[in-house]
Amino acid sequence: MSNARAVESELARIGIDRVLCTGHGICARTLPEAVALDEWGYPILATDAVPPADAKLAVKLCPARALFLR
Amino acid sequence: MSNIIELINAAGLTGRGGAAFPSAIKIKAAKENKARLIVNVCDGEIGAAKDGWVVANHLNELLEGVALITSGHAKPIFAAHRDSTTARLLAAAGLKVLEVPHRYVSSEETSLISLAHGGTARPMTKKAPFVFGGQRSDGKRIRPTVVLNAESVWRVSQISRRGVDWFRSYGTDAEPGPRLVAVGGFVSTPSIIEAAAGIPLMDLINLAGGLDPSVRFVGVGGLGGILLTADEARSAIWDTPTMKSYGGGLGPGIITVWDPRQAAAHTAGAMIAYGAGESAGQCGPCMFGLPALSADWNAFAMHPGADSHRRLQNRLTLFERRGACAHPDGVSRFATSALRVLGPELLQSQPYFAGGNQPTEVLSYV
Repeated sequence: MSNARAVESELARIGIDRVLCTGHGICARTLPEAVALDEWGYPILATDAVPPADAKLAVKLCPARALFLR
Repeated sequence: MSNIIELINAAGLTGRGGAAFPSAIKIKAAKENKARLIVNVCDGEIGAAKDGWVVANHLNELLEGVALITSGHAKPIFAAHRDSTTARLLAAAGLKVLEVPHRYVSSEETSLISLAHGGTARPMTKKAPFVFGGQRSDGKRIRPTVVLNAESVWRVSQISRRGVDWFRSYGTDAEPGPRLVAVGGFVSTPSIIEAAAGIPLMDLINLAGGLDPSVRFVGVGGLGGILLTADEARSAIWDTPTMKSYGGGLGPGIITVWDPRQAAAHTAGAMIAYGAGESAGQCGPCMFGLPALSADWNAFAMHPGADSHRRLQNRLTLFERRGACAHPDGVSRFATSALRVLGPELLQSQPYFAGGNQPTEVLSYV
């Protein structure tokens, strides 16, 4: 349990600017563990805590600049 | 920090606009950041009427509350719907009025802040509270701004004048203080009532003329609220724990007795359709999701069955915190509650299109 918490604290937290998001769906490819897409391609977050390196790449690759680090 | 914040904190005042956030924290941050104050007098929720009532009846105390909160460092703004009686009263008093368009989400907190900065009255993504200042998604800078509900501001002046003990003599320990409730719909005397948490819901309805025996459903909190059966309303206590057990809260103080002459599934469907049409059209999950929810509700209401029920239930899981504002959360909360109340009886009913009224044979007229 304490190990799990230690790992948790090393994760980055992501957020989505829903106004900017236009449903390209790239985040579902870069963060498949955390992001699913609805029927129109808009992200559904299973969790906002993801490995920092993955988060950085996903933010960089979001074409709408909607994905951000908290 | 200052005496008034300690008083508000000791009184336990929470925002009366529906979010019930501790006012002391918000007002302290507003003072520290020299935030501009917007007093929300829009009564934007369906059935809301209390904030206009505060302006019409207690404007001096409201302005006293404003002065206590702002300490006079920036001219406060009063947000009211365009061409409303409230807007006219505020303008006649020489106050700075932000005229808000007649759309459901226009009176949402961040919509008002955007409008006050020369933008459209549509919600903004809130990465951090705008009391600290921030940015709109298009990059426009937003100055520190705080939005308080008119009743909340009025309560600040009351706490200052009458004291913490007076305030806490109303309500419960967890939800102290007087609070306004608008009771409307199918009642003989729609009323705004000075109430408090912890009293029976029926006491409020009785003050507005009581519950006709034919009434079957009572709404709490408008389109962002919940639906109760008349039996539930008869035994419910007006407090957050009770309303939470039905999936809601005290919201912005609205009780709506549903007209028993109208089919409840249709009334609920009309509200959901209205909510879908009032999306600001910015966030995908709202602008596409709410019309889909509306269609799923209508499909279930007209063809109640396991499939349409499941499709509606699945749809309802797709709205939580997926918009810049909480409009999709609010409409889906209402639809979830309406489904809880109306679903079982719809599932037992004859499908709308499967009665005996369909043409079965061809007759010759000529």
